[in-house]
Amino acid sequence: MQIYDVVIIGAGPAGLAAAIQCRENNLDVVVLDEFPRAGGRLLGQLHQEPNGQWWNGIEESKALLERAESLETDIQLGVSVHHIEKLDDQFVIHTKKKYFHTRNVLIATGAAESPAPIPGWTLPGVMSIGAAQVMTNVHRVKVGEKGIIVGVNVLSAAIARELQLAGIELHSMALPTRNVVVDEQSDPRLVMDRLSRIAHLAPSKFIQLGSKFAKYKFVQSLALKYYPTNGIKMWGMPIYLNKAIKQINGTDKVESVTMVDVTINGDIVENSEKEIPVDFVCIAGGLYPLAELAAVVGCPFIYSEELGGHIPIHNETMETPVKGIYVAGNITGIESSKVAREQGKVAGLAIAHKELNSIDIEEKLQAAVRNVVATRDAASIQFHPGISEGRKKVSTAFQETMKTQKELELVR
Amino acid sequence: MKDTIICRCEEITLGDLEEIAKKHNSSAREIKLLSRAGMGFCGGRTCRPAIDKILTNITKENPSDALPLKVAPPVRPISLTDLGGFGKDDE
Repeated sequence: MQIYDVVIIGAGPAGLAAAIQCRENNLDVVVLDEFPRAGGRLLGQLHQEPNGQWWNGIEESKALLERAESLETDIQLGVSVHHIEKLDDQFVIHTKKKYFHTRNVLIATGAAESPAPIPGWTLPGVMSIGAAQVMTNVHRVKVGEKGIIVGVNVLSAAIARELQLAGIELHSMALPTRNVVVDEQSDPRLVMDRLSRIAHLAPSKFIQLGSKFAKYKFVQSLALKYYPTNGIKMWGMPIYLNKAIKQINGTDKVESVTMVDVTINGDIVENSEKEIPVDFVCIAGGLYPLAELAAVVGCPFIYSEELGGHIPIHNETMETPVKGIYVAGNITGIESSKVAREQGKVAGLAIAHKELNSIDIEEKLQAAVRNVVATRDAASIQFHPGISEGRKKVSTAFQETMKTQKELELVR
Repeated sequence: MKDTIICRCEEITLGDLEEIAKKHNSSAREIKLLSRAGMGFCGGRTCRPAIDKILTNITKENPSDALPLKVAPPVRPISLTDLGGFGKDDE
């Protein structure tokens, strides 16, 4: 029976970057991914950087994949992992195809989309914004003739642009009306505050101004109070923080949405209902770390709003308190794919260092750790202003967990 | 909004969840077990964050560091034959 040095779960930017480091150090590696193509969510990405250069996810993933393949990395696609079993000195990775035995595991499963349920969201023609992205940029399928985006955030703004570039007509982007699930996404103040992180992507002086002063609450309120009735246009498409979608209508599929005006507190203005004909609706509820596998193998968690939800506790070299289990990429917090790739490098080097214990690798590892921080600081898309604080919290939690573990061992 | 389906696999509406909570005065976990919300075919992959949020709101339980609702394997839908694992270890 073969025992691998490491099984990497997820062939996105983090998983592939890690695999490359492991293979450069000659470890026995297998990379598993449930999607039929390597690259993860990198595949869907296409946007222009502030310096004018284009970030083309398909090209980026191709570069990673080619490097991994040149190192004869075993990448198995279309394989879902449904359990990680912890034995005394190894882990068993359960997949539909077979069991993989391994000394180390890197969980690089990325993120999933939070749903934003509003009445009518189960009608055919309603999809998550990420699904629209994958259909458009990966499968090259046109999602509809004319649509609307419900949920205004970094991700939906970036993907709206991609849909536009693909020639798909969008009516606008608007908030969902407030309900128990979508309270944050429906609060104009909070959304305005978060939009500040994509100010440089919005060629509108108004958003840039509003976001520049976003930390001053009164300016935010003013900006919302004088929010243009016709929305702020980004690439010609209105973004509404003063209008919200109340429900999605249709008998067998999406036929229209009901739009209402909302106050700066997100309250619905009476008698402001308008029906807008559309044949598809993208719901953007934001991302959360996909950490089920870390949970089943016994990793402790910490909640960090800044990082997007419950995060498996880990240190700066991506180790969790469960010896042999590593994490990298969006499972450690919602950030750009560039950060994920650097984290993958760190995890790969950390595993190589654990297996081979060389000074040379240790030096590379330290440099890679510094690179993660540098990449984070330079990121053009920041999902949350408190990312660095969130990271600190996680790192402190790791030290505390390890301290408790040691004390427990001493008691025994 | 009460009629809005939250868990699509088990077809549980927001109203169903609120009603169960009121009737049985239950914790988040109890509501999940009573309603089967998040326990359908997809294993809660679509609705988990929404259910977490609704249940936190109904029960007023504070979000803690621990995952609100337990995650159990298998975390992907698989057939019983595959779950048995026969012939999957190459000895």
